[in-house]
Amino acid sequence: MDRETRDMLLETAGRFFTERSGKEVVNGVEKGVWPADLWKAIEEMGLPLIAVPEAQEGVGGTLADLMALLRVAGEHAVPTPLAETALANLLIAASGGKPASGPSTLALGGDSLSLQGNRLTGRVSRVPFASVADRFVAVVTASGKSTLVVVARDEASVEEDPSHAGEPHGTVIFDGTPVEFATPSAVSADRALELAALMRTMQMAGAADKVLATAVEYCKQRVQFGRPISNFQAIQHMLAELASCVAAMIASAETASRDADEGGLENGGSFSIAAAKTQCSDFAHRVAAISHQSMGAMGFTHEHILHHYTRRLWVWRRDFGSEAFWGEKIGHAFAKAGGDAMWPALTESRYAA
Amino acid sequence: MSIPKLEFPPFHLPDEAEALRGEVRAFLKGILPGLKTEDRFASWNTPSPEFSRALGAKGWLGITWPKKYGGGERTFLDRYVVTEELLGNSAPAGSHWVADRQSGPLLLKFGSEAQRQAILPRITRGECYFSIGMSEPDSGSDLASVRTRAEPVPGGFRVNGTKVWTSGAHRNHYCITLVRTSGQHGDRHKGLSQLLVDLKTPGVTIRPIINLAGRHDWNEVTFSDAFVPEDCLIGNEGDGWLQVTSELAFERSGPERFMQNVYVLRELIRVLGRQPAKRTSAIVGRLIARLWTLRQMSTAVAGMMQGGKSPAIEASLVKDLGTIYEQDLPEIARTLAESDATTEDDLADFLDIAQYATMMAPSYTIQGGTTQVLRGIVARGLGLR
Repeated sequence: MDRETRDMLLETAGRFFTERSGKEVVNGVEKGVWPADLWKAIEEMGLPLIAVPEAQEGVGGTLADLMALLRVAGEHAVPTPLAETALANLLIAASGGKPASGPSTLALGGDSLSLQGNRLTGRVSRVPFASVADRFVAVVTASGKSTLVVVARDEASVEEDPSHAGEPHGTVIFDGTPVEFATPSAVSADRALELAALMRTMQMAGAADKVLATAVEYCKQRVQFGRPISNFQAIQHMLAELASCVAAMIASAETASRDADEGGLENGGSFSIAAAKTQCSDFAHRVAAISHQSMGAMGFTHEHILHHYTRRLWVWRRDFGSEAFWGEKIGHAFAKAGGDAMWPALTESRYAA
Repeated sequence: MSIPKLEFPPFHLPDEAEALRGEVRAFLKGILPGLKTEDRFASWNTPSPEFSRALGAKGWLGITWPKKYGGGERTFLDRYVVTEELLGNSAPAGSHWVADRQSGPLLLKFGSEAQRQAILPRITRGECYFSIGMSEPDSGSDLASVRTRAEPVPGGFRVNGTKVWTSGAHRNHYCITLVRTSGQHGDRHKGLSQLLVDLKTPGVTIRPIINLAGRHDWNEVTFSDAFVPEDCLIGNEGDGWLQVTSELAFERSGPERFMQNVYVLRELIRVLGRQPAKRTSAIVGRLIARLWTLRQMSTAVAGMMQGGKSPAIEASLVKDLGTIYEQDLPEIARTLAESDATTEDDLADFLDIAQYATMMAPSYTIQGGTTQVLRGIVARGLGLR
């Protein structure tokens, strides 16, 4: 979609999330209350179909449009599998399938998935929203071929293992489970993981931005020793450092999103995504540490919203590959290519070879 | 929320700039192996008049300046790419660095026609080098408190005072010197001016200040009744503060703020061998990701500047993050090499490199605006002060 349309969509979505996905909803999910109304409204807005072509009854946006939306969703800690569903729908549509309604999630990162006929076997841990999604989407690799599979939730078994942000995550076990749909996949399993990592970097950029705004506003209002604590240089410098970390997260995520979009669904921005996920995951700690320090006990309470974001940053930094996972991939490639290959590769945002 | 949004719109350097990159790389590949320099890993503080003249002959100095002054009339982004390649390939860019980066642009903006004609073509040929005369013994971050005084006398000024940390004054030709031409010490921004001082002027004494790494980069420059002709005033008398702050803007967001010791990373990759342990690769990968991110932030700022914006906060963030990265790099690299270097010889060699980088590292968060000054600028941008 053109720039103006996208900006309008993002503004509408931001307003909508502010109104409908507030503190109580986020806390409710943590207590096990699925926000069915919120999800219904998200579907009515067409958000899970944002990157599905119009010919397949989607909104017709690009991968970059989807990622821009997810940054806004991250800024509001929207406690539904919007990101997972929208990416699943994109993958299904790109592989020639038709996305169904209802929340979906991605069962990625399990090396052990195997497909026999139309039966899936394997185990994937840390699947986001595993216990509330209607279906699981996975990419199975066998003899060099990638197959996209869709499995109805009720066919698989889920060991509930809520995330540290209180979202209903779990381990999914397929045990000769019949698949609802299987088709040659438009992307490899590795690529699906990259795209999911990209989705998390954009959510992290949004969440980090919100953390900065929250800490700055708080420090301007909190009065101690007779003046707002933002008057103290110690606080000013802390928040400036926080801003630098948030800036790095935003810049890396936005670049990866652009590169993925420009380079195409199959392999665009492969290195940029790895670098951005590494960077965002790496800085999640500083962002959480500084923001909490600036807000004292208040920000450490369950009552305050800060933890909606800091806890998500701690979860998201590990989702779909942590800084150790992606960093290793980068380090391995650059070591193999040798020191002199580093600079040329960096200027082209690609793995050294 | 009322705080301004931080944005770093991803920016592609244009095709012409990327084409230029290829030319610069090929040139460096040809010339660097034959150059003798005082540093094993050269950077923007390693002088080499020979190299600067060769670069000038290629037309890559004053690359953005008007042709009538010897410039190339190319874009700011072309210059960005040349700078990146000099740093990325450890070229000895020290002789021309200040002249090309800030003194020339300052003269172009505020200098007289005669000054431009006399100086700029020599800079573009790689023959004329500059020092920065800002800091004094009692004026560091608080630059407006300078005491060096230029008293108007018939035909010019009589200058008295002392400048310190004046890099390269012992080998450069000129020093653009911030002086008080009127008013009193406490008048702050008022009454300051900039003078184009020939460093051979009688009454100008240059004494080395050796830094902790044993290097002679810095000098103390003392003015004792030094006469500076009136045609050496840059811009208007009393506009020194305005001019000097515009000059400082050139110092903040460029690749030199995160690539001064990029050789450490390159050499680290070399000594760790082609198949380091997983954990080691992961740490190297994190360093690479940080460097890549800084580069994306810096090109985003360059893109905004090319688009006519003045992203002061974003530029400050790049320098803050970039210099901290440069300080972390030798430390992380040293510990990795100690545990994982492939041979003892490689390790000994690398520890030498890392030790030098470690000794230089404290300067990164001081020069060109301390981290604390930068954080003050960012805090103002965030509406905190």
